[in-house]
Amino acid sequence: MTTIRLENLVKRFGDFTALKTMDLEIRDGEFMALLGPSGCGKSTTMNMIAGMEDPSGGRILFDGRDMNGVPMGKRGVGFVFQNYAIFTHMTVRQNLAYGPKMRGMSRSEIDRRVKNIADFLQLTPMLDQKSAKLSVNILQRLAIGRSAIVEPAIFLLDEPLSNVDAAFRAVMRTELKHLQKQFKQTMVYVTHDQLEAMTMADRIAVMDHGVLQQVGTPLEVYNNPANIFVARFIGAPGMNLIAGELAETDRGLAVDLGSWGVSPPLPDDLAAAASAAGSRAVQYGFRPEEATLGLEGQGLRSRVTFVERIGARTIVHVESGQTVKIVAENDVGCSIGDDVSIVPAPAAVRLFDAASTAAIRGG
Amino acid sequence: MSATEILPGAAEAAPRTIPPVDRESRRLGFRLTLPTQLLVLFIAGFPLLMQLYISLTDWSPLDGVGWWKAWQSWNSFANYTDLLEDRRWWGALWRTFIIMLVCVPAEFLLALGLATLFMDDFPGKRVFYSILLMPMMVVPAVAGYMFFMLFQSGGPFNGILSALSGMDIKIAWLSDPTLALVAVMIADIWQWTPLMFLILLAGLVGVPEDQLKAATLLGANWRQRFFTIMLPRIKTIMVIALAIRVIEIFKIFDTLYIMTGGGPGVATETISVYIYKVTTQDLIWGYVAAIALVILIALSVLAVFAMKRMEAAKNGGRA
Repeated sequence: MTTIRLENLVKRFGDFTALKTMDLEIRDGEFMALLGPSGCGKSTTMNMIAGMEDPSGGRILFDGRDMNGVPMGKRGVGFVFQNYAIFTHMTVRQNLAYGPKMRGMSRSEIDRRVKNIADFLQLTPMLDQKSAKLSVNILQRLAIGRSAIVEPAIFLLDEPLSNVDAAFRAVMRTELKHLQKQFKQTMVYVTHDQLEAMTMADRIAVMDHGVLQQVGTPLEVYNNPANIFVARFIGAPGMNLIAGELAETDRGLAVDLGSWGVSPPLPDDLAAAASAAGSRAVQYGFRPEEATLGLEGQGLRSRVTFVERIGARTIVHVESGQTVKIVAENDVGCSIGDDVSIVPAPAAVRLFDAASTAAIRGG
Repeated sequence: MSATEILPGAAEAAPRTIPPVDRESRRLGFRLTLPTQLLVLFIAGFPLLMQLYISLTDWSPLDGVGWWKAWQSWNSFANYTDLLEDRRWWGALWRTFIIMLVCVPAEFLLALGLATLFMDDFPGKRVFYSILLMPMMVVPAVAGYMFFMLFQSGGPFNGILSALSGMDIKIAWLSDPTLALVAVMIADIWQWTPLMFLILLAGLVGVPEDQLKAATLLGANWRQRFFTIMLPRIKTIMVIALAIRVIEIFKIFDTLYIMTGGGPGVATETISVYIYKVTTQDLIWGYVAAIALVILIALSVLAVFAMKRMEAAKNGGRA
């Protein structure tokens, strides 16, 4: 039950700056995902919260208390490692009892806690098994249980699903989210997999190159990416972006997309924001799921270069200078070389300033 | 939580039968390696049988007959029963045990302490590392000669003691029965602590860092981490290191022989030195064969024990 505040947090390794001034508040009981490609600083941030690394600057506050100088064993932080770091030379029971034992709790207190947590996590049947040969989902539960037994205020999870094969990941995700709901602890979850972040997190903090790009609920981040990086990173496939210039047409402000033609007129609020923003060079963005594909007619003109049939849907690649992907019906009747036109749903259109990469937001 | 139903482990429970194709390829494998196996059997098996045969006779190279005619002096198990009453043998065995009981624990504790120090970084670590490993690379006979000179009554060792105490110390290390044994032990510890250090350090470095961090996060202090994570994790390696040194000390010879020649008297006579003397001076090879066979069996038991530990660790312990 703790609020974590990061204030102007900086981390440098020699000449390399892993994290450039990060400010973030993680609310009490929240499931926050730190999402970004590898090398974006998310693990560094997590390690500093845990106390495994010292910040080069800035502060970390737990409920307003400065954690600088507090050793990692005394921060009240539970940590689930990427490989779970289970003590494989011990039984499940010894693993669970490790924390309480090291903290000098009484025999009866340790037994009581082990029993409770084992019941809760359904580990009771394997309490006396060696932990070396357990299956991965049991290891995950054991890793969580081993941290949870000392009742940490904060749970940190470092890509716990990255060693799990894809088929099993969905099961583990559900289980993990379920556990978080029951524990009610503040959880910080580091991942590079946007699907994990989207499905489990209350809020997502998207990071890149040591800079926090956007914080928001999964839907906010998906619907209204703050900049081009987030737009491209979130979603599979990511948002389509076409370079263009603002242009007045007789039906209102639109974007001239070069060889693609001129876009449909922008919605009023977006048009107002775009003209207020001043710069004329923009990136015109829309989600692959939110555009319709037609043969000739109104819309952005293009030609099909590749058709990816993935079962439930079909991803059509079209090109006119730049490649754009469209998610269409599974039985869409187009093939390579067809001339097509694309109509993005007006409400789904997003504009980004080409120079600053920041989103231009209407309304 | 239905997750437990899709455990990866479930598939492993399938019955283990060898399919016919597999059996065929096994047979082929056996046939292909047969010549080598016979050669190995000859190299290992023939001398052993020869030794067993000679150990049941009074044969000596001075008899003037080939060893295959040793049956002429057949004495059944007399060599073995003699061994039970041979006081010089028991004395040698006892001294070997004393050296082992002092040197192996001393080397182990020193090495473990050093290896633990070397887990952390400190200035000059690489230099110290090289210096520490140097004794191991000295030829044992040369080490023997070094210590022979060091322990002379007017030698450097006494010189250091004199300088430290301010008195003129002239201890005759190698001619006092007790001190000679101590000198031999010091030489062994000097030379073989590095090997133990190297093995234990390799083990400690292999302890997963995440486990140590996990233990720290759970509130374990340095001492607790050492005893609950690091030591249990290198248990197998400790057993191997100890087994190697125990076996080596059973065979201790070259350094010791050059330092003291087993003397004064029989004060530093170990089983290897004893066997060497019986072989080269008394020339009763039937008896030597019997002693050597007894030692071989004892060491084999040790080796099997060590291998069992390794096997157990491979199947269970570590992931």
